[in-house]
Order: sequence, then C-alpha cells, then structure tokens
Amino acid sequence: MNYYWIGVATLTGIYMIAILGVSILTGFTGLFSMGHAGFMAIGAYTSALLTKTFHLPILVGVFFGMIAALIVGLIIGYPTLKLRGDYFVIATLGIGEVTKLLLENLQGFTGGARGLTDVPGGVTFPMVLCFLVVIIWGLSNFLRSKQGRNCIAVREEELATASIGADVTHYKMLAMGISCALCGISGALLAHYMEYLNPTMFNMVVSDQLVMTVILGGCGSLTGTIIASMILVPLPEILRFGAVQEWRMVFYGLLVVLVIIFKPSGLMGSKELSIEGIKKFIGRADKKGKER
Amino acid sequence: MFFQQLVNGLSIGSIYALMAVGYSLIYSLLNFTNFAHGITVTIGAFCTFFFLTYLVKNLFLGILIAVLIAGGLAMLIELLGYRPLLKKKARRIYLLITGLGISTMCENLVIISFSSRFRVYPVNFSNKSINLFGASIGQVDLIIFAVSITALILVDLFIRKTRAGLAIRGASFDLNTTSLMGVNVQMLILIVFMIAGALAGLAGALVGAKYTAFPTLGTNMTNKAFISSVFGGLGSIPGAVLGAMLLGVGETMISGYISSSMRDIFAYALLVIVLFVRPAGLMGKSMEDKA
Amino acid sequence: MAQQEYILQLKNVVKRFGGITASNNININVPKGSIYGIIGPNGAGKTTLFNMITGVYNTTEGEVFFNGKPINGLPTHIIAEKGISRTFQNIRLFGDLSVYDNLLTACQKNITYSFLDGILRSKKCRLQEKEMAEFCDGLLEEVGLSNQKKQRANNLPYGMQRRLEIARALATRPKLILLDEPAAGMNEEESAELSDFIRSIKNKKNITVIIIDHHMDVIMSICERISVLNFGTLLAEGDPDSIQNNKEVISAYLGVDE
Repeated sequence: MNYYWIGVATLTGIYMIAILGVSILTGFTGLFSMGHAGFMAIGAYTSALLTKTFHLPILVGVFFGMIAALIVGLIIGYPTLKLRGDYFVIATLGIGEVTKLLLENLQGFTGGARGLTDVPGGVTFPMVLCFLVVIIWGLSNFLRSKQGRNCIAVREEELATASIGADVTHYKMLAMGISCALCGISGALLAHYMEYLNPTMFNMVVSDQLVMTVILGGCGSLTGTIIASMILVPLPEILRFGAVQEWRMVFYGLLVVLVIIFKPSGLMGSKELSIEGIKKFIGRADKKGKER
Repeated sequence: MFFQQLVNGLSIGSIYALMAVGYSLIYSLLNFTNFAHGITVTIGAFCTFFFLTYLVKNLFLGILIAVLIAGGLAMLIELLGYRPLLKKKARRIYLLITGLGISTMCENLVIISFSSRFRVYPVNFSNKSINLFGASIGQVDLIIFAVSITALILVDLFIRKTRAGLAIRGASFDLNTTSLMGVNVQMLILIVFMIAGALAGLAGALVGAKYTAFPTLGTNMTNKAFISSVFGGLGSIPGAVLGAMLLGVGETMISGYISSSMRDIFAYALLVIVLFVRPAGLMGKSMEDKA
Repeated sequence: MAQQEYILQLKNVVKRFGGITASNNININVPKGSIYGIIGPNGAGKTTLFNMITGVYNTTEGEVFFNGKPINGLPTHIIAEKGISRTFQNIRLFGDLSVYDNLLTACQKNITYSFLDGILRSKKCRLQEKEMAEFCDGLLEEVGLSNQKKQRANNLPYGMQRRLEIARALATRPKLILLDEPAAGMNEEESAELSDFIRSIKNKKNITVIIIDHHMDVIMSICERISVLNFGTLLAEGDPDSIQNNKEVISAYLGVDE
C-alpha cells in the first residue's frame, strides 16, 4: 500500500516539473501552447533511446532529453514568436501532433504505437524530489530577477515592455526555452520511471491537462501551480471508476471557463506562499480569535 | 488514378474549406482562434447520425438539422463563453483558454453521452460511381464538393452583397469604428459565430456521411482547418478556401501515391514550411505592418 | 545652431498609412536640456510623431536623429536602450503588478547580471537587486507614491496611474522623455503640481522633455519652445509668447482669450 502512494507521489512530482514549465510559459509570460506534451515526448524518447542504445546512465539521458526538447522548442519559437497573431499557438498544436505521428510511424526506432519497452529504470521518489526542489528554487529566483520580471512584463503589456528597453521576442524565446527544457526533463524522468513509452502518453489530452492545471492553480503563481498539480495529477488515480474520467474532464473544462471569466488569477490570486504571507494569515486568524 | 485522387482531394478539401472559412471569419473579426470550433463540427456529425437513426431517414433533412443545431451551438458558445470576456476587453490568451475549456467540456460530454464508438450513418449517399473522363469517381465525393461549394458561394454572396455582410467586412477592419458608426457589433459577432457554426456543422455532417461519426472528429478536422488558414493566409477568407483545397488535394495525392500514414505528416510538414518560409501564407497581408 | 546642441531632430518626416498622410514634411529640432511642447487639435498627428520617434513605426520618408544619429526604423526596445523613454496617451501600465514592481521592472535597462546569475541568485545579482530596490524607493518618494508601493497598478486612481507611468519612464534613467498627454483628466491644482514636477525632471535630472498636451496652462508655463501641428502639417514653431500671438494658431486651435 505504501509503495502505491509513493508511486503516485513520484508520478505527481514528475508531471509537476512539466506543469511548472507550462506555468512559466503561460501563467507568467502569457503564451498559450496546445502541444507541450510533445516536448515531454521528445525528452522521453530521446533519453530512452540513448540510454537503451548506448547504456548511458539515466541522468545523462535526462540531460540530453532536456537539450533535445529545448532545441526543438527554440526552432519552433524562432519564426513564430516574433509574429503578431496566433501563429505560435497553431505551431505548438502542430508540434504536439507531429511528434505523436512521427513516434507512431517510425516503428523501427520507437516501437510505434505498440510502444517502447525495456527502457532503463532507476527513477525514485527522492530523485524526483531533488529535481523538484532545485527547479522550484531556480524558478523562484528567476521570477525575482530581471529576466523573470521582463517575461511577466511581456504578459502584461508588450508595447510598454519594449519601451523600457526589453526585447519582447527575446523574452518570449526565453520562456519557451525554459518551458521546453522542463517538459523535456519531465518526459525523460517519466520514461525511466515507467520503463515503457507509448505515443498516447503524450497526446493532446495531456497537453490540455498541463495548461488547465496551470490555469486552475492561477496564472502568475508558482505556489498555485504546485498546489493545483498536487491535487489534480493524482486525481485520476484516486477516482478510478465508471465514466468518472470523462466527468472529471467535463468538470475541469467547466472550471477553467468559470475561472477565466470570473477570477483569472485562480486559486492563489497571483500571490505566492511566503513567510510574510503566512505570518499575516496567522496574525489575522489570531486577531479574530481574540475578538471573540 | 490521378483524376480519381484529384476528385477525392477536392472533396476532402472542400470540407476543410467549410471549416477554414468559419474559423477565418471569426479570426478576421475578433483576432483570435476559436478552439471551440471543433466541437461544432462534432455536433454536426452526431446530430445527423441521431436524426437519421431515430427520426426521419432523410439525409438531406439530417444535414439541414446539423447545420441549424451547430449554428445554434456556436451562438450559445459565443454568448456564454466569449461575450463576458470580450465585454471586459480581456487579453487574447483568455479567449484561447476559454475555447480550450469549452472544447474539453463538450467533447467529454459527447463521449459520456454517446461513447467513443464510431457511428455509421444508417442512411447515406449512394456508393455508386460515375464514369468521368475514363476514371471511376464516387458520387459521394461529387455531392460533397457540390454541396460545400454551394454553401461557400452563399456565404460569399452574403458577405459581399448584403448590408450585414458589409458591416462584417467593416468590422473585420476596425471593430471600434464600426461600433461607433452605429452598427450593433454584438449582433454582428453573433451572426458571424452562427455562420461559422453552420458551416462547421455542415462539414461534420458531410464527414460523418463520407466516413463515420466519432467524438474526436471535430478536433482532428479543425487542426486541418487551422493549417489551411495559415497556409492560405491567416485572416483571409479566400486564402482559407485556397489553402484548404490545396491541402486536401496534396494530402490525398500523398496518401494515394506514397502511403496513407504520410497524409497527416504532410499536412504538418506543410505548416512548418509555411511558418518558416512565408508566414503570411499565400494570400495574407505583408507581415511588416505594425498596428 | 550646431548639430550637437539638438538632442532630437525630425528632418522632412512624412508618414502615410495607405492613402492617408498622417504627417506631412515635419521638421522639428529639440534643444538638449529643454522642455519642448507639441500641440494641436486632436488627429493632428502628434502621437504619430511619438510613435515614429520610439520605433513603433518607421517614417515613410524623412529621418529622425537622436544625438546626431539616425534612429528611425530601429525597433522600440533598441531606441529605449539608447535613452528615449515615453508615456502613453492610453495608459499602458503593467496592470496586475504592484506600483513597486512596475518601477523595478523598468530598471531592467540598468541591470547587467545574466540569466544564470538570476537563477542562482549570485552575489552580483543580489547586489544589483539591492541597488535597484533603493533606487525605486527613492523614485517612489520623489513622485509621491511611497504609500501606494504595494498597491496593484490597475487599482490606483487615474491621476496616480498617470504619475506612475511617468515614474516608470524615469526609472529607465533616460536622456529624453516623451510625455503623451500627461495632464489628461487633471484639474488646475493637479496640473500645477505636474508642471512643477516636469520642471524638476529637467532641472534635477538633466533630462530633455517633449510634451504633448491640451492643457495650455501647463504647456505655456513650462515649455521653452513649442511646435504646433494641424492636419499633419507644421503650423508654427516658436516660444510660448509668439505661439500665443500667432493668428493662424489661434484660429486653428487656441481660440481667442486663451
């Protein structure tokens, strides 16, 4: 029983890395992607194939998975992020679909729709936790730095961002790079955890869920993204009966629409968990207690 | 063989055109991609199926019902999903996300209600072929092509010859000014959504007739519509039609002469090439004009 | 006058949008360290000039020189880096961010640490962040927004939003600042305060100011020279007295007894 919940926690942690990536792209920089699961797939298959063929340690594989996803992401981003209009969204839609198609059709390499088996394993919960801690620390520093602030400014007001001297396209590319790299890491870790890969693990439904988790957690809040991931990723595991999976998706879809219309800042309201915030919260609760 | 593939390609291309035009109308008016477009296609397909199975076994009526219901659904989506955001002058990304939310919600409702099975229409176009120029052409394809072109011509006439159409063209250029000139922009947006939905419903019904109806039909097809529109030039209606036809024919040729699994890869490869070489597409405006 | 004494020059600038000529043969020379006004009725093409100066669009014909070097056609962020900043007619703040964050973000031009420094929070990063924090606190004091430091920019009253936009433009430490209708919606008292503030910008910080506005009390009291635009053409240029007495300007724009 214990192993089961550790497994759930490990998977949650792995997906959280990808969701954090999408959070930087969508929640903080305001770019919408319909195909980021495609970058998970690139990371996953690159790492799986390299480690399987060349017997490399899995962490080396993860590194190359990240690089591969990063490179493809920047290639997609380069022509599309400088254009006004929905070119970028459609391109991400395309990359999600193309990756799945190529994986299904290059059976020789990837095992096609039947899947890739005997992927080297070795991903443990402590390992995922380490990745998460480092990544969350790095991202929170990023968001407090000049580069992070510029990305956020791009989301807020592009013309004003250019007027303060920041190259809008450059920062969009930066956000794209970070999000693709994180999805690549996530995919690679997934590969070495499941020890099996299948193109349907990275289809558009997965891409949609990555984005929806970010939205529900709140655009512009890392804490919100983390909490939403912790609740929403394990949910399918906990609710394993009947047509619940589809009802869950109906509910998500509806919730996303309601959140966007009524409270785009989501759960956390663009705020982050901080020591001051906790102190304030306790102070207020304490005050209310005293008033009674 | 070539001619056969050509007709097949034009038939599928005309279905893409129906969806691409609907998408382009909304895009050129409101400058965003309606991700809920796919669901109106799916609903069209299913409406016809259920109408034919449980009510009247008349294909023409079935298709008509699909058009009406899909058009109505599109209007409902605009009213409930997009209008609150458009009123607030919300950022474009919020509109995209709402589209995604609506699409997810509705698609899963369809799966729950109707299961993921593929549904074959109980009544359909005849399977007969005609002999044209020495090749055997399916009647289905000719009918689909004819119906689609007729619908597109009707829409074109509406846009070019009616007052409402003039208002739409003006609004595509500048929404604010149009509203300042006394045009009821809210009504205009609703009409455009209705037209887009109706075309999408028609497309769905035709796809359902030619192949089968299934819950993810809409999303699969609208991806092709997006590619068609980018290829033809985002925001250009004639571009959407041209792009769709070329895509349909190209896909079918690749599928016929090389392999059917290359069909979709061709479509996405085309997208990549367009984005790198000429993002404005075939008929798009020059990308250098800043606002 | 020698070339170097002008910080900004527009030479025979023409701007056409399709069939419409928004700016027709504009020649403007802004002396370094001055406060320069551009006035004219609505639609005269004033904001179009600002947009060409800041790279939002290129000129159709003619050139824009900043400190003697041509800048027309350069991207907006490059022009901003060279030392030109602006405010907008329709306020474009970073709405969801706090007042403080609006300013801190604008300090980016003067921060040199790298992406890596940022994610590792290196010493260089921490040092520069501290510098910028102090700078922003100082700037907030100067513009009188210290009490609103943590307030969400969109929640501020209109007058404070305008002030914040000016503060944000100042945070980039520019050499030239373009103010597009900064007094819009202000009453007499507020306009007077604004005039004093603009004068202090020029005096204390040695920044050249170009201002577009319709509040003649502000324009006439602070501007050293003024250009008047009408239907995209230059109607007159000179000091406030000569402009106020110019018959054409009066009939086109000022009216009698202004």
